[in-house]
Formats: sequence, C-alpha cells, structure tokens
Amino acid sequence: MEDKKDFIGIIQENGGLIYKVARVYTHTREDQEDLYQDIVYQLWNCFGSFRSEAKISTWMYRIALNTAIAHRNKEKKKGNQIEIDELLLNKPDMTDGLKEERSAVLFARIRLLNDVEKGIVLLYLEGKTYEEIAGITGFSTTNIGTRLGRIKQKIKDQIA
Amino acid sequence: MELEEMKLLWGEMSAEMEKQKQLTGSLIISMTKMNYRHKLNKIIIPEVSGALLCFAAIVFILVNFHKLDTGYMQACAIISAAILFIQPVVSVRAVYQISSINISANSYKQTLSDYAKGKIQFVFAQKLSFYLGAVLLLTILPVAVELMGGKDPFKKDTTWFVYIIAYPLVYGLARWTFKKYMQTTADAENMLKEIAESVNV
Repeated sequence: MEDKKDFIGIIQENGGLIYKVARVYTHTREDQEDLYQDIVYQLWNCFGSFRSEAKISTWMYRIALNTAIAHRNKEKKKGNQIEIDELLLNKPDMTDGLKEERSAVLFARIRLLNDVEKGIVLLYLEGKTYEEIAGITGFSTTNIGTRLGRIKQKIKDQIA
Repeated sequence: MELEEMKLLWGEMSAEMEKQKQLTGSLIISMTKMNYRHKLNKIIIPEVSGALLCFAAIVFILVNFHKLDTGYMQACAIISAAILFIQPVVSVRAVYQISSINISANSYKQTLSDYAKGKIQFVFAQKLSFYLGAVLLLTILPVAVELMGGKDPFKKDTTWFVYIIAYPLVYGLARWTFKKYMQTTADAENMLKEIAESVNV
C-alpha cells in the first residue's frame, strides 16, 4: 500500500518526463498515449528493483527509454488503452500559438534523428551532464561528447 | 533551430509542464493494470492459438498415419508433421526473444542492441516460416485429402490444379513480404553499426 502511494507520487511529480519521452518516440497521438501508459506500467513493474541510492529521475529515464524501444513492436497493436484527458497528459499549455508551433518543430527535429541520437539528445535537452547521459545510456562519456557534436551538425544540416 | 536554441525552448516547455494538472492516483493505477491485459491479448493469444492448431494437426496425422498406405504419402505425412512442429516453435521463440528485453536492468545501448538483434532473428524466423509454409502446402494437401476422402489425391487432376493456382499466389506474396523484411533487416543492421561505433571512438 505504501509502495503504491509512493509510486503515484513519483508519477505525479515526473509526468512531464514520461510525456516528453513518449512524444519523442511516437508519431501519432494514439501511439503517444499508448507508450505513455506502457512506460507507467513498466515503471510500476520495475519499482521493486529501484534502489533509493540512485536518483529517481535517472532510474525513470532508463526505464522510459528502454520501454520506448521495446514498445516499437507493439506500435501497430492498438486498443484497450484508457482515454487520458489531454490536459492530464502533461501537454504543455502553450497559449501562445507561435510557441506551440515551435514546440511541434522541436519534436519533429528530434524525431528525424536515429534512435541512438534521440536518447542522447533528449537527455542533453533535459540538462543532464555527459556523465549522467553516459550512466543512463551505457555509452562512454567521450562517446557522448563526440555524438553530441555530430548531432549538432546534423541539426544544422537539417536547417540548410 | 540549432541545438542550443532547442535546449532553451525545451526548458520553457518543461517549465510550462510543471504548472499542468497532475494525473489522478486512480488513473495511474488503472494504467498499470490495463496494459497487462492488453499485452496478454495481443501477443500471447494469437501465438498460442496458432501453436495449438499446429499440434492438433500433428495429432490428427499421427493418429491416422496407419491409413496412409503408400510410401510417398507416409513421407508427406512425416514432413508435414515435422513442419507443423518446427513452425510454431521457431515463431514463438522469435516473438519471445524480441519481447524479452530486460527493461529494468539494461542500459539504453544494450536495449537498442538487443532489439536490433531480436528484429534480425525475427525476420529470419518469418522467412523460414514462409519457406516451410510453401513446403507444407505441398505435403499436407494430399495427406489431408486422403485421410478425409480416402482416395490418393495424386491420382486426381484437381490436386494439381490447386497447386497451379496456389503457388503463383505464394510466390507473389513472398516477393512482397520479403521486400518489407529486407528493409527491416537493413534498419536493424544499421542500428547495430551505429552502436558499434562507440567502440571505435
């Protein structure tokens, strides 16, 4: 019971993290909702193995990114998902139309990258250090630096 | 929009999210329960049903094996039973492999690698199933006709007529399916190359 209460608190506090991962790895609103729910399900499944000495967000990113990849197989298998109110899905309230458009461009740019780059760039945008990104992804710190350099160039080339 | 500009916008977006309404506790709990049923229905049931159907056909062949009186009909029955056994085993194994990624313990890199390898094996299993299916079509039809109708179907013209219609269809379907599979395999191999680059940097 205590576990459930803690888990609900963690999801409520970090719903934005799940929303961002789900939006980066899917192309349609339906897939996004499905992946969001799958991530919550996997987090609950793995909650027992979470050790409190690790940072909760680090643990959540690892599970969320792994779920996003594993979810690929289920992408076309729709149905049985619960309807989630758009507001509850932590959709940013971009009242400014221009901001909303820029946000859509931002996600579209990230989606153009390959899966290795998507994970790295998402963590970089979240303000993680190279060491933290390396810890979550399993790539070396040097490799993260090299890859981010390449991603920067790739994004520049997208504009050109 | 360059990477630094993206980071700025990302920060603004994240700040907006902080102000959003939160998911209710009951909604979170229902999400954890719902998905279990979803997975069970969508993945396990079709695989298990297919396997049961194959095993039922094997039992039917074995029980009636004594009714097959010619050597070539017995050979057809043995080949059919073998394929009916191999096909579901290969298929279930491939599905299990690709869906058994250790989400809890793996790093992102390991997950990407496991997924790509699983995808390549899955495509291999699908191709193998397709070839085996083509052979099965050839061997099971006469066995089924003789066991149900009691006559050697190779002595009837209609059997050959079925093959003449079925095989061009199988060939067309194979070409279309394999084209899709080749792309999937290429994507998975590119992913493995991309991951392997980290070793060289």
